[in-house]
Amino acid sequence: MTLEPAVEDLLRTAAPQALGVLVRRYGQFDACEDAVQEALLAAAQQWPVDGVPDSPRSWLVTVASRRFVDEVRSAEARRRREETVAALDLVEPGEVEQSDDTLTLLFLCCHPALPLPAQLALTLRAVGGLTTAEIAAAFLVPEATMAQRISRAKQKLKAGGARFGPPAPEERAERLRTVLHVLYLIFNEGYTASSGSRTQRADLTAEAIRLTRLLYRLAPGDGEVAGLLALMLLTDARREARTTADGVPVPLAEQDRSRWDADQIADGVALLTSVLGGGAVGPYQLQAAIAAVHDEAPSADATDWPQILALYEVLEKVAPGPVVTLSRAVAVAMVHGPRAGLALVGTLDDDDRMTQTHRLDAVRGHLLELAGDLSGAREAYLRAARRTASVPEQRYLALRAAGLPG
Amino acid sequence: MKYMIMMFGDAASMQETVSKEWIEEMIGFMVQLDKDLEASGELVFQQGLADASTAMTVSLQDGLPVATDGPFAETKESLIGFWVVDVESEARIVELAGQIAKYAGRVEVRQAMDAPPDL
Repeated sequence: MTLEPAVEDLLRTAAPQALGVLVRRYGQFDACEDAVQEALLAAAQQWPVDGVPDSPRSWLVTVASRRFVDEVRSAEARRRREETVAALDLVEPGEVEQSDDTLTLLFLCCHPALPLPAQLALTLRAVGGLTTAEIAAAFLVPEATMAQRISRAKQKLKAGGARFGPPAPEERAERLRTVLHVLYLIFNEGYTASSGSRTQRADLTAEAIRLTRLLYRLAPGDGEVAGLLALMLLTDARREARTTADGVPVPLAEQDRSRWDADQIADGVALLTSVLGGGAVGPYQLQAAIAAVHDEAPSADATDWPQILALYEVLEKVAPGPVVTLSRAVAVAMVHGPRAGLALVGTLDDDDRMTQTHRLDAVRGHLLELAGDLSGAREAYLRAARRTASVPEQRYLALRAAGLPG
Repeated sequence: MKYMIMMFGDAASMQETVSKEWIEEMIGFMVQLDKDLEASGELVFQQGLADASTAMTVSLQDGLPVATDGPFAETKESLIGFWVVDVESEARIVELAGQIAKYAGRVEVRQAMDAPPDL
């Protein structure tokens, strides 16, 4: 079934709000989620025919509540039917604080008791309003697997007694970090698809940006929420220029900068400027600042590499890790020469966390090429090409290698 | 008739012997082939496979699954990609496999069985 994009947008926004109202009213996340899914299905069938109701959210809440109550009624029919129904608070709520509900829903979906893949899936379905089939396609797993993952996650929340309500004040900051991490991973999966034949899944990046924008409206005071949103906008602004027509990645230095989205860059920079210097600087703000320096350079040669290097040095103190070190090595090479960068890359050779990635050899190839060691660069590119599961990356690395003498 | 077309070779060693232009032509061919098969309705499923050096072998040891590295690096020719297609004739499958053979070390075609054999 194809819906008008406007109707689809409406459903995506209204669905988590409706779910929030139901869960707050009745508890029982899993049963409420099923009821909202059924209401969404009904909306998808009726709205294109009968027109969109005046208040889509109220419509969804009403239909989903009815489904939920029906479900409870039939489940409890054998015993205590009347008592249970009477016990439910069926009074229509007044104008509720719906925005807080959506935030609470995000906290619930990113519950630390759930494994990370389940957090991602549940967030996309309950807050993002994506169907199980869409989420399965995005993560390249069969729909049945994804359905099982979502249903297990809901059971686990139920069994763990996860309660619908804002986290305790002392837990809030930590839980918000988890939510940010999940949104960051959704964005990254869309921006750099980890395997398969497509480099980018624009649907996932768009969804991650939409959810982070929503979170930013709900928690505007948090510098890292703004930082993550700015990072996504500044990175996604380069999307059009990142691949050739055949889907082969184009490195930053060779991208046609006129194809970058100037409006989105301006948005990201403004957002970042509004929070920088307003308290402790976190990793997302720092990564956004690095992206902004790249985006604001009129050409690759005019990039302010010393500033990027300084930012990576701070980032490595705040959030150390081999991937940050690898990125810093590129900045070191651009400021102090390729040999200095290669020395830093060498320190990662024995890092177990790098054994599963082809990026170490890809960066090494690039720096060796800059240093003039063309046959060494070629070998590094070929090693990297063997190790990636991404078809476009493999093609890019093979092309780099083939352009160099053996 | 459903067939599986299997492309054998070793992506990296293949790349060592060819030019940049050849790879560009190969990429263009692969992208176009996938689009054409999709447009004609003949494509059922296609997938490139990560290099054999990244593969693992799973076997049972004392009844428990144990994963080990391998097949090993000296495996020069391994499956690197496949298409499952649904075509009208055997001539068509030979034509398709022939196009792919230009870019692959070896192409093998196997018909998919859609019913148990008559006994």
